Formats: sequence, structure tokens, C-alpha cells
Amino acid sequence: MMFGNWKDIDRMFGTLDLLNSRMDRVMNEFNKTLGYDPNWTVTDSVPRTNLYDKGEHFEILAEVPGFSKEDLNVKIQGNYLEVSGTRKIDAPEGYCCLRTERGTTTFLRSFTLPSDVDSARVEAMVENGFLTMRLPKTEASKPKQITIS
Amino acid sequence: MGERTDLVKRDKTHPETTRRIPKVRPLVDIYECDNEILLHADMPGVKKEDIAIDIDNGKLHLSGVRGIKAEGAANWVEFGDVEYVRSFSVPQTIDLEKINAELKDGVLRLHLPKSEAAKPRQIEIKAA
Repeated sequence: MMFGNWKDIDRMFGTLDLLNSRMDRVMNEFNKTLGYDPNWTVTDSVPRTNLYDKGEHFEILAEVPGFSKEDLNVKIQGNYLEVSGTRKIDAPEGYCCLRTERGTTTFLRSFTLPSDVDSARVEAMVENGFLTMRLPKTEASKPKQITIS
Repeated sequence: MGERTDLVKRDKTHPETTRRIPKVRPLVDIYECDNEILLHADMPGVKKEDIAIDIDNGKLHLSGVRGIKAEGAANWVEFGDVEYVRSFSVPQTIDLEKINAELKDGVLRLHLPKSEAAKPRQIEIKAA
């Protein structure tokens, strides 16, 4: 009988499961070494950003490791925001290079913000490799409380 | 049945965790000169006190946790809390006592000085 021994079939599937999980693990390791993990590539040519809407203002957070405030430029017009930067290559003199991964030194990224911001009152600061920008909304785009009569 | 349990055994030994932070490998540059090996690692947003550098048995283990204070409604989020983790093999010639590190603008700079015995030496040839 072909499927006489269910235990054998069960065992076969068990083995497949095991193989599957082993392969997953191998592929994960592989992706990690090459930096292919789609969620966590740091090899992007532009810094990753987060944008939060805090009612009265927007807050943009960007990852800019190795950039000091002199290395960054921010331009704003209406709801258009442009952040650019150039990182000095920090290879010390007289050293030979064994490994270079932090290659990106120049970037430009532009955004369309959800609403107009008051460019005169924008504050930006760099700390610990994060660029934080506080972008106050213009009067017209601020949230308004409507009283029900 | 004994064989079967052996085949389908899985790793379920991890203790229960309430919240898992993704682990990321930071990008590094490594430089070497006659006196030391220098390692630069990009770790944006990590504070000095959240970095741990352990050296044990020729392995250098680098770990830095960053947390983001996020308030308000997120319009888009491209990054979040992560743990930067990476391990390296350290050659025997490194003087473990003198290792030092600095953190500036989200870049960790780790100096691994070579021990005196490992530095290149010029041998003078004596005239016979």
C-alpha cells in the first residue's frame, strides 16, 4: 500500500519543515551580510526621515551620521522642503583603508510637506547624528477649533 | 517516535520578550596604520551611555541602542528604534588596556592601539 505508513509521511513533512526553517536562517544571514534587508538598508543614497504632525507644527527627523551643522543645507518654500548635505571624508592621514562601507558623502532630498510652513520660524538642529527640524504651519493651515453654536 | 522528535526539533529556547527592537548592522570604515587600527561606525541617534563595547576572547562586540521620542501623528516613518549590533575579530596584537572610543555626530570612532611588540621596527644593520 502506498500511504500505508502515515508515520513516514508525517516524518517527511517534518523534515521539509526543518529544511524550510534552516533555509530561512541561511537566507537571513546572507541578506544580513550583504545589507539587503529591505527594512534596514543603511546604504540608501539619501538619509531616511520621519515626519510627524504635531498640530501647530511639523517635525522632521533625519538620520545624518557624521554631518555637522556646517555640512547641511535646508531650503524651504511654501510646502517644498529640500535638505542637502556633504559629508567630509573622515579618513585620517597616513592610514591605509581596510574596509569602506560608509561611502555616501553627498545627498539631496526634497519633500512635499502636507501643508505650507512658515519658513521664517523654522528651527533646525543637529544632535547625535539626527537632524531635527521644527516646521511651524502657516496660520491658514493650522488646525482650528470650531465651536458649535 | 524517538527519531521523529529529533527531526522536528526547533529553537524555542529564547526567553519571552515583551518588545523586540530590530537589530541592524551599522556601516563601518576600518583604517590601519603602524600604531593602531581605527574603526568608524555610523550610529545615528545613539547616545554615549547606550553604547556597549565588549571585548572577550578576541571578539569585539559593539552594541548601541537608540530610541526615538515620537510624538504626534506620523505622516511617514522610515526609521525607528533599533539596536546597532556588530562583531569583529580583534587580532592578538591589540593592546586591550589602551582601547578608547569617542562619539561625535552619531559616528563612533574606536581606536585600537597595537601593542609595542606588534609595531613594525626598523632593524639597523651594524657594520662588521
